[in-house]
Amino acid sequence: MSGEKRIRAILAGLAVVAARPGEAAQRLTREKGKPLVGVLPYYAPEEIAHAAGMLPVGVWGGTADASMAGHYFPPFACPLVKSALDLALRGVYDGLAAMIVPALCESLTFFGQNFRAARPDIPFVPVVHPQNRRTPEGVAYLRAEYEKVRDRLAEIAGREVTAADLDRAIGIFNDHRRAMRAFLEEAPRHPSLVSPRVRHAVAKSAYYMDKADHAALVGELTGLLKSLPEESGAGKRVVVTGIMAEPEGLLDLFEEVGLEIAADDLAQESRAFRTDVPDGGDPLERLARRWSLVEGCSLAFDPGKERNRILLDLVRNSGARGLVVLMMQFCDPEEMDYPLYRKEFDAAGVPVLHLEVEPRMSLEQARTRLQSFAEMI
Amino acid sequence: MYTLGIDIGSASSKAVILRDDGEVAGQAVIPVGTGTTGPERALREAFAQAGIAPEDVGRTIVTGYGRVTWQGADRQVSEITCHARGVLHRMPEARTIIDIGGQDVKAIEVDPDRGFVRNFVMNDKCAAGTGRFLEVMARVLGLEVEGLAEVSETSARTVSISSICTVFAESEVISHLSRGEAVPDVLAGIHQSVAKRVAGLVSRLGVRPPVVLTGGVAKNRGVVRALEKELKTEIRIAHSCQLTGALGAALLAREDLSKI
Ligand code: SF4
Repeated sequence: MSGEKRIRAILAGLAVVAARPGEAAQRLTREKGKPLVGVLPYYAPEEIAHAAGMLPVGVWGGTADASMAGHYFPPFACPLVKSALDLALRGVYDGLAAMIVPALCESLTFFGQNFRAARPDIPFVPVVHPQNRRTPEGVAYLRAEYEKVRDRLAEIAGREVTAADLDRAIGIFNDHRRAMRAFLEEAPRHPSLVSPRVRHAVAKSAYYMDKADHAALVGELTGLLKSLPEESGAGKRVVVTGIMAEPEGLLDLFEEVGLEIAADDLAQESRAFRTDVPDGGDPLERLARRWSLVEGCSLAFDPGKERNRILLDLVRNSGARGLVVLMMQFCDPEEMDYPLYRKEFDAAGVPVLHLEVEPRMSLEQARTRLQSFAEMI
Repeated sequence: MYTLGIDIGSASSKAVILRDDGEVAGQAVIPVGTGTTGPERALREAFAQAGIAPEDVGRTIVTGYGRVTWQGADRQVSEITCHARGVLHRMPEARTIIDIGGQDVKAIEVDPDRGFVRNFVMNDKCAAGTGRFLEVMARVLGLEVEGLAEVSETSARTVSISSICTVFAESEVISHLSRGEAVPDVLAGIHQSVAKRVAGLVSRLGVRPPVVLTGGVAKNRGVVRALEKELKTEIRIAHSCQLTGALGAALLAREDLSKI
């Protein structure tokens, strides 16, 4: 098979996983003979589930009408938690061995409480990250939280989770993060092969595949892409930031109006792969130290507002002409950061487009904005 | 060689034909928009006025809400770019452009150095503050949209409308009328309501004078005055305010031709 043909085959396979995450997860558990654990965003210690012989899968909500969740949430809860709870109520997560829920924002905290009430039959594993994450006490506290997660998952799995299991899982996840970073760096050089939708599918599929398998495929993909010449690229490059780049129809609009993604700062994509678990010592402590190393994320307390600089550098260093903010509706953490970095971007004269997104948004309005932005930059 | 700009909105269809010296050879506004016979009628009228046939046109650009589905243009450009282009052609001093269309409101900041769009905002999800809002209210008051400004001239005071939602505002207007409030006073309240919505949107962008208003609603002096009050600045009305989008499209088509 020629390089380009193989690239297209890998991308098509990953696109199928991203388009039907539920089916992909079912296939995964069947093929590997291991139970699935649902993992809500963000920064959950998925390595522990993996070390316990389980398969962590991402729970990021969906695009269906979240009418059943209206019973539990006020109308101003973010669509991610509303649709995730709706899917839980509709039985989509039946059969999960557990649900890991970090409480990194109010919506997730409420999700945890509601999920527990709505689905008492699915073991609920909460994680509370400390906001003072860089102090020794913060790390010790999070280590203690992760110890509880380990014990609970070990109990559910009916097996011991040793330090060696954890070290092995950390190695696999770090390798995967490295593979993803290498891909995301290479992708903008090949806009005709890696369109915005395809790029998103590669990142999203990571949540519904075995991490080692995904890393191997993505590694092969990046190698093949590197062997091709860089395309000149007819489009205009932008950086996207926010929680996630959905609905996917939005990404088709990027392509339609000639916008290429130079880099992203999305919680579901680059932010999830940016920080490795550090080397050395007790594995649970290493996992806890990862949280202290996270930078430039709306979910991680950032008194110096590093995100402003990180985002501006990202735009400048990636050769992008502007920033597209995909603002998840009712997302407090992202909305809190926006005016601060917007001010810096305005002062630096870098164009910014703010688009409020939700799974069932009208793409007509978005088209005009994206097109006008593309014409403007 | 002639160029053609066609602006297919949600409520009206507009066409402008330019001669190669940049002068307008023909133009038309038909008060029905995308999905109707409006675009074809606007074209027919503009061609008749210009006295030319479609074959005489070297390049066509379509803009407006219906731009994506309309076949027959060489390319499509967003309304924001076209309005800015159209306004700046006639009023190069403009710094802020407000376009109030049938179902959306756009505020555009113009870059004084490059003479082009620097930033813009649009209304989200809601038709309050748009032409459609005024149409609904005109129907409740039993008036023609074109006659609203004249009626509101005679108002002695403003009866405020507090509902933002078009449907609730409609029932609020009905209850004001049934309580015996005078039609011109209620109408002044409706104009104020539109102005407040638009001003709220524009303030997200920042008001940099001179402010120029385009779109069909710009013909309503009642809204213009209310908006001047809200924004605390004088508002200039774009020449042929309904046609600035189509004019911008025709100008961009002319620029395309000069590049080919
Ligand atoms: S961070 Fe934002 S999008 Fe994510 S769960 Fe919290 S409120 Fe929802």
